[in-house]
Amino acid sequence: MAERLATLIGIYGLLGLGYQLVFGQLRGLNLAQGALFGVGAYATALTAPHLGPFALLVAPLAAAALAALAGPPILRLQSHYFALATLALASLVNLVALHAEGFTGGANGLVGFGFGLPRGPGLLLAVWAVLVPSVLAYAVVFRGPTGEKARLLREAPLVAATLGIDGALWRLRAFVVGAACAGLAGGFSAALTGVVSPEATGFPVMLLCLTAVVVGGARHPLGAVLGAALAVLLPEIFRGLQAGWLLAYAAATLAVVLWLPDGLAGLLARRREVPAPAVLPHVPPAPGPRRLAVDGVGKRFGGLEALNDVSFAIGRGEIVGLIGANGSGKTTLLNTIGGLERADAGTIALDTTRLDRLPPHAIARLGIGRTFQTPIEGETRADGLARALATGAVFLLLDEPAAGMTDRERAALAQQLVRLRAAGRGLILVDHDIDLLTGVCDRLVCLDGGRVIAAGAPAEVRADARVRASFLGVPA
Amino acid sequence: MAYALIALGFVLALNAAGAVNFAHGDLVVLGGAVAVLLAAWLDLPGVLLLPLVALALAFAGVLAAHVAILPLARRPPEQTFVATLALAAMIEQTLTLTLGAAPRTTPPFVGSGAVMVGGIPLGLQPLSIVIVGGVLVAALWFLLERTQVGRRMRAVASDRQMARAVGIPVGRYVPLSLALSGALAGVAGFLLGHQFLVTPTQGAGHMLKAYIAVALGGWGSVPGALVGALAIGAFETLVSAQVGDAWASAALYAAVLLVLTLRPRGLFGEPVGQRA
Repeated sequence: MAERLATLIGIYGLLGLGYQLVFGQLRGLNLAQGALFGVGAYATALTAPHLGPFALLVAPLAAAALAALAGPPILRLQSHYFALATLALASLVNLVALHAEGFTGGANGLVGFGFGLPRGPGLLLAVWAVLVPSVLAYAVVFRGPTGEKARLLREAPLVAATLGIDGALWRLRAFVVGAACAGLAGGFSAALTGVVSPEATGFPVMLLCLTAVVVGGARHPLGAVLGAALAVLLPEIFRGLQAGWLLAYAAATLAVVLWLPDGLAGLLARRREVPAPAVLPHVPPAPGPRRLAVDGVGKRFGGLEALNDVSFAIGRGEIVGLIGANGSGKTTLLNTIGGLERADAGTIALDTTRLDRLPPHAIARLGIGRTFQTPIEGETRADGLARALATGAVFLLLDEPAAGMTDRERAALAQQLVRLRAAGRGLILVDHDIDLLTGVCDRLVCLDGGRVIAAGAPAEVRADARVRASFLGVPA
Repeated sequence: MAYALIALGFVLALNAAGAVNFAHGDLVVLGGAVAVLLAAWLDLPGVLLLPLVALALAFAGVLAAHVAILPLARRPPEQTFVATLALAAMIEQTLTLTLGAAPRTTPPFVGSGAVMVGGIPLGLQPLSIVIVGGVLVAALWFLLERTQVGRRMRAVASDRQMARAVGIPVGRYVPLSLALSGALAGVAGFLLGHQFLVTPTQGAGHMLKAYIAVALGGWGSVPGALVGALAIGAFETLVSAQVGDAWASAALYAAVLLVLTLRPRGLFGEPVGQRA
């Protein structure tokens, strides 16, 4: 009995650990994990008569293959649509299990395949021999820079893209590896029970996995195992309550979501040390491209012409300020250079490399960094700047770095910008503080209604009649 | 038409809470169960039971808002999803414990016979579903488009912070929307329960249909949900007549995957654009 329970905890722990990759780390509401578990169970049951114990290896492969096949189209979807697509996929798997009788045995399922598979203590050993190294690997991988990248993908996907992180590739990897875990767990479960029925692909398995991971802790390495232990042991303890235990379990899940957002494992985790505020250390010179050129770029949003025939260039060791009234196209221009928006017309090039058809993460890897108007929750703008620099970017696009700063902070920022210029970086600076811009910029470019109306030395641009009328609000 | 009531209730809750209320399908089942219990207790005709069921479920909706939605307003939407999923399981298990797993039937709305319209026999119950559904959809349209309360509800749905900034008490509109949403779910549960019976485990199925309707119609769009629900109803009726229920469901899910692959934001797009 104890042996069976320990095996079951290991199986659900493995299922949950795979689920943590997509749900915990990348915050993707994947509702197909239960069905992938079932796919593994069926794969093992169908191949065990021919392959013996090696049928267990077929399980993760089958589940991962299905995930790899279905992944690319559905992983592009945003949160709710992703949840729905995975739910539809799971329902399809369930229907096939139920109704493709010649293949899956229909509602009766498959039996009598288990003679070649490990059982009893051997199975227990096999399950935990897979689970323990997997938990350790998870802990090691997500403690380092990978964990930090996953946090950015989860909390600020745009920032992640501008740092060169390929979100689509990450999601696919997490989905496929998570599916392999689910498949193997399903294979083990087939070996444990000796029966595989359509229930293995059903929504209750998914629900068990989701609640176990939420109750245990969605990201903590031990979260899945803790949750699985509770999910297996609680019904044993509350056996006397009959169906009441399910009610108690659901209530417990709700309570954990409300009062322990990090799950039970959150109680184990030490409080994170408060990160030191980012200071820019000595900035080393960076190799790489020498010139960023924007040529005739246009961008429309429906009927609105956000950018129209914008051209300018910037070299290393230069600071160019972008000015213009609200809505004049400054942030759109930064987005277009960084690849977050796609230009409708014109070209953007880094030396001779065209950027205007590349995805944001590829542009970031070529040497363009970006900061945003609003920092990630719990961080300052300085953290954003430090992170952009840490990618080794040569050209930095800074969107209102001084907004909300005190005079002293502005002075410090100006010094930092000048140091970056001295270290051979090229900076494009969007801000409303015309005095800051005049102080640090080599050139100013003024936008009005998406067009460049003036460009040149700060004093010239400030004196330009049209600039005074459109941006400085001084009648010409 | 009953799908339409479920989907409309779902989308109202979705817009108010800014997150999926996964317990919505179980509120529908709860509506059916309440109708069963009230009918056994009061012996009233269906026409009079309906407002009572709606009232009871409006109350259940408010309760759901206070238990699983409002406390999580500042957390990521996935947490509301999981919390309401837990709530759904609680409703399902409570019903299983109190009513048992056996299916029950709700009383008919006006009668269970059929009337002849132009020589074609029409069941009274399906007919009343269409009529009650039509009246409620029209009433909802009037509320949302023509009254101050409705305008405010739409304001809260489209931009919560802006709504707060212009002085709308956002916190009060969430329970109100959930009450409406619950009442619609209750009516749907009552009307469906006569023909399709009430079983505690039906919630997930109702939920899935509403979810599909809303996602296909454009996340958060009220007319989109209506069109999506009617489309699903028509699709199921037509396809299941050809190939049977199981493969009709399979075809529906396959169609959903196909639509999402081609149109990642639903058939008609979203009413509110993504903000960077």
